[in-house]
Amino acid sequence: MRLKVYADRMSQPSRAVLIFCKVNGIDYEEIKVDLSKNQHLTPQFAEINPMQQLPAIVDGRFKLFESHSILIYLASVFPGVADHWYPADVFKRSKIHSVLDWHHNNLRRGPVAYVLHTTLAPTRGLPLNPQAAAEAEKFISSSLSKIESIWLKGNERFLLGGNNPSIADLSLVCEITQLEVLDEKDRNRLLGPHKKVQQWIENTRNATQPHFDEVHNILMRVKERLQNQRLKGANIEGGSSTKKPSVSRM
Amino acid sequence: MKLKVYADRMSQPTRAILIFCKVNGIDYEEVKVDISKGQHLTPEFAEINPMKQLPAIVDGRFKLFESHAILIYISCAFPGVADHWYPADLFKRSKIHSVLDWHHSNLRRGAAPYVVHSTLAPVFGRPLNPQAAAEAEELLSKSLSKIESVWLKGNGRFLLGGNQPSIADLSLVCEIMQLEIVDEKDRARILGPHKKVQQWIENTRIATQPHFDEVHKVLMKAKEKLQNQRLKKANGGGGSGMGKLSHSRM
Repeated sequence: MRLKVYADRMSQPSRAVLIFCKVNGIDYEEIKVDLSKNQHLTPQFAEINPMQQLPAIVDGRFKLFESHSILIYLASVFPGVADHWYPADVFKRSKIHSVLDWHHNNLRRGPVAYVLHTTLAPTRGLPLNPQAAAEAEKFISSSLSKIESIWLKGNERFLLGGNNPSIADLSLVCEITQLEVLDEKDRNRLLGPHKKVQQWIENTRNATQPHFDEVHNILMRVKERLQNQRLKGANIEGGSSTKKPSVSRM
Repeated sequence: MKLKVYADRMSQPTRAILIFCKVNGIDYEEVKVDISKGQHLTPEFAEINPMKQLPAIVDGRFKLFESHAILIYISCAFPGVADHWYPADLFKRSKIHSVLDWHHSNLRRGAAPYVVHSTLAPVFGRPLNPQAAAEAEELLSKSLSKIESVWLKGNGRFLLGGNQPSIADLSLVCEIMQLEIVDEKDRARILGPHKKVQQWIENTRIATQPHFDEVHKVLMKAKEKLQNQRLKKANGGGGSGMGKLSHSRM
């Protein structure tokens, strides 16, 4: 019986699990649970994950939720997963744990909220919330600075310092890619100052191609759609046929 | 060279580490870092933990922060730690990971701010914030309900269903213990409806005595001091010499 991965590719931790499976040749069935349609709130899905969140997996009779726990389980239970993803060495492994733990209350609190409160809220029937966006921006900025000053301090290619990514790189990078859907100007302001982070994202992407791009396809399509909406909005509001979205804030 | 544990016993995750070490007979040196005096913000402590938070450990040349990572490291690196704390069985271990992951954004995000905004803020020179406390209480209550409906559903004495505690029980119970210092009435309102949680806290406490009580002494002294302050205010503010807190709201 194949591993089942309950996922929505708009969910950052879902993407991390999917990319991990593909890169490691793990045979699985992807079951789409559409967050925008609230499919994660159905009683059927509650049977899979009582926390009603994504991702979740079912492996035979074993059910598991929380992406970090899932990544560790997959790294441990499937043969052929290279050691660098979740090293057997207790010191390296502990460092990975501390990055993943730190993530919950720091980086993870940034992009989701920021994207929601500046961009995605209207699609959920919610008003934009500049104050919440400003708080989320603080989390993003301080988290990216911390990543650079602590784990990427010596120009490391990956968070643990080696030449290969770990599950920590995958999890955190998939979080930051959510910023792709933002207005160009906002994304540049948030990411621009962080050259090491940008390089690290690129390193992680390169190390997991073509799966990284394939799993991010949906996000990039949403990005394109939102960009077109912004351009349309700019043209209508601007009055003249200026092409740049400089006037309209979506 | 002994394990060094940088600790403040008013910090919930710190208490989990200390109790764990004592219960398992681990030889360590407790280095006090007083949060209320800002000692965690010194450049010296940043050398130990660049995130400037507690707990942190130094084991020989190895430094580690994030309490869950620390609990796992100690379970693996020190002989004599009984298997039930962090079982070798992958399925049980994964369940522990998912509880610990869930904890960050749920129980911890509810309980810790609730205590700060309703009671402890003045210790850090900040005003109380009833609105923030109310929001935190909502998340806290939801989390306690989830614990009961998901992990304490059967008749198991602990979160994994067995008869022995794991690091997940210790971590979450130490978080809930912080509620000891809030007003009696508030604590009764929040914890009262959750009989299974109350029993589980007691099970965990009994399984780790006398260390549980010993490590919680500082918290209980703070509780007593705050209770006396409330009584004084009630007597002083009430006008009449009433002993009960019926008129005064702290």
